[in-house]
Amino acid sequence: MSETILMTEGLSKRFGSRWAVKDLNLDVRAGEIFGFLGPNGAGKSTTIRMILTLLLPTSGNVKIFGKEVRGHRVEILSRVCGIVEKPDFYLFLSAHKNLELLGSLSRKVTRDEIYEALEIVGLKARAGDKVKTFSHGMKQRLGIAQAILTRPDLVILDEPTSGLDPQGMKEVRELVLKLSREHGTTIFLSSHLLTEVEAVAQRMAVLNHGELIAQGAVSELLSNGSSYFTISATPMDKALAILRRVSWVEVVAEGNGIDVRIDSRRAAELNRLLVTSGIDISAFAAKRTLEDYFLKITEGASEV
Amino acid sequence: MSLFAVEIEKTYRRWRTYIGFAVILAAVLLLEVIIKLDEPQMAHAFSGGLNADFLISGHILNAWVITAFIMNSLYIHVPFLVALVAGDMVSSEATSGTLRFMLIRPPSRAKIITAKFLAMIFYTASLIAFFGILCVGIGLVFFGGGDLVKFQPGLPHIVVLPAHIAASRTGMAFLAAILSMSVVGSLAFLFSTLVDNSIGPIIGSIAVVIISFILGNLPFEFTESLRPYLFTTYMGIWQLLLDNPIEWPIVGKYALALIGFDAVFFGIAYYVFVRKDIKS
Repeated sequence: MSETILMTEGLSKRFGSRWAVKDLNLDVRAGEIFGFLGPNGAGKSTTIRMILTLLLPTSGNVKIFGKEVRGHRVEILSRVCGIVEKPDFYLFLSAHKNLELLGSLSRKVTRDEIYEALEIVGLKARAGDKVKTFSHGMKQRLGIAQAILTRPDLVILDEPTSGLDPQGMKEVRELVLKLSREHGTTIFLSSHLLTEVEAVAQRMAVLNHGELIAQGAVSELLSNGSSYFTISATPMDKALAILRRVSWVEVVAEGNGIDVRIDSRRAAELNRLLVTSGIDISAFAAKRTLEDYFLKITEGASEV
Repeated sequence: MSLFAVEIEKTYRRWRTYIGFAVILAAVLLLEVIIKLDEPQMAHAFSGGLNADFLISGHILNAWVITAFIMNSLYIHVPFLVALVAGDMVSSEATSGTLRFMLIRPPSRAKIITAKFLAMIFYTASLIAFFGILCVGIGLVFFGGGDLVKFQPGLPHIVVLPAHIAASRTGMAFLAAILSMSVVGSLAFLFSTLVDNSIGPIIGSIAVVIISFILGNLPFEFTESLRPYLFTTYMGIWQLLLDNPIEWPIVGKYALALIGFDAVFFGIAYYVFVRKDIKS
C-alpha cells in the first residue's frame, strides 16, 4: 500500500447548530488521483477549506505528509497547492504577473518556471494579457497553472470543471491526468460529477450531508452490488414484458428507455436474454449519475 | 519578493490607488490658480484685516502660507482618499477571492496582515508626501517664498515663521500629517478585516471620523469629557508644528495618542484576521 499523504481524523466543522462536516476520516495515498465526491452542499468545500487552513475545524485534525497541519503549517503548505471553489485572480494584472506574485508567496519562482506552467495549461501565448480578458475556462486553467507552478507534492482541486463547457471539462481532465502521470503529483479532486471522478480517479470518498458514506477504490465502489442500467430496446413493449417476468430484474422507470436495477454482474446475462428473445438492443448502459449512485449506496448495497 | 513588496506592487498597480493622487492634484492646482487669479483680494482675506492696524511688507501670500492654508483640507477630503485605499486592502481581496489564494500559501496570516498594514501606511505616506510636494511646488512657482504668517481668527496672536525655517516646519507638519492620516487609514483597515465588501469600510471609517469631529466640537460638558478619547482630537497635530515656539510636550502627547490609536486599530485587525474563518 502507498504511503498516506493526506489524512483527516474525526474532522468536523459546525456553523451555528448545523454540522457542515461531521467526523470525517479520509485517507489519500501518494501518487494517486483521489476523487472527493458529493452533491452541492455536501461539505466538500468546507473540508478543503479546513485542510488548507482557511477554516478552523470544530474538532478533529488534518495530517499531511504525516504531520499535523496546525503545527507545521509553513512546512506543509510549501509542498501543497490548490484551488478553493473557483480560481480568482487579480484581474488588473497579467497572467504572468499573477503567477509571479502568487508563486512568490511560496518561494522565488523564475520566469522560465512561470512560462513552463503556462505552457502546460496552454496559456503561454496569453501570458502578458490581463486576466480580466480571460474566459472562465482560461481562468480555470490558469488556476491549475498556479497550483502546479511551485511543483507541489499534493494538489487540491475544488470542482475544477465547474462552469466549463464539455470541451473545457475534457481539457481540465486531461490536465489532471497529465499532472499525475508525468509529474507523479498526488491530486485531491472534489466534484459533484460521478462521471468526472470515474474518468480520472483511482480511489474516492463520497460525502453527503457532511458525512462520509463510502471510501475506497473507484472500480470496487462502482461495481459492487446492484446497479442501475438504461436499456433502449425495440420493440419496447415486448422488452418490457420480458423484463417484468425476470425475477432478478426490477423495472424502475420507463420512458424513452427502460431503467432497471439488477446485480451489475448479471448485466451481460440480461443483455443476452433480451437478444435471444428477439429484441433489438440499441443501448445498454450503466447509469452513472451521482443521484443513482447515492440511491444505490444509501440502500446499503455497497460496503464502505 | 517579500510580502511587503507584493502588497506594494498590488496596491500601486490598481487604478483606484491613483484616484487620491488625481483628486489632490486637481484640488491643489485649482485652489492655487483661484488664489493667484484674485491675489490682492485673497491677500486681504488671508491677512484677516490686520493690514488696517499693521504695516505689512513683502508677500503675504507665498508658498508656505498657501500650503498651510491648503493643509486644512486634511480634515476634509484627504481622510476619504486615505480610506478609499485602506478600506479596500483586505475586503477587496475577500470579495474577489484572491485572499483564499494568499492564505493557502506558506506565509502566516500574521505576516500577511502586517504586510498589508505596512503597505497601507506606505500609501498614506506617499499620498501626503505628494500633497506636500504639490502644494509647495506650485506655491513656489505661483507665489514664491517668504515668511510663514499665520493669522488665526479668534486668537489674540499672529505666528510669524521666518522664511529660513518655514520650509523645515512645513516638512515637519507634513510628517505629522502622515501620522494623523494613518489613524484614519488604520480605522478603515480594521473595518476592512471585518467585512467582505469595500464600500462598508470606506463609508464606515469616514462616518466615524465625521461623528468624532462633531462630538469633539460640541460645547457640552459630556462631549467635552469625551474629547481625550476621540482620535480626531489629536489629528490637528500638524498645526502645532507651525506654531512658534513649538510646544513639544503637547506635540509628544498628540503623537503618542495617534500612535496608540494606530496600535489599537491594528491590534484588533490583527486579532480578527488571524482567527477569521475564510468563507468567501
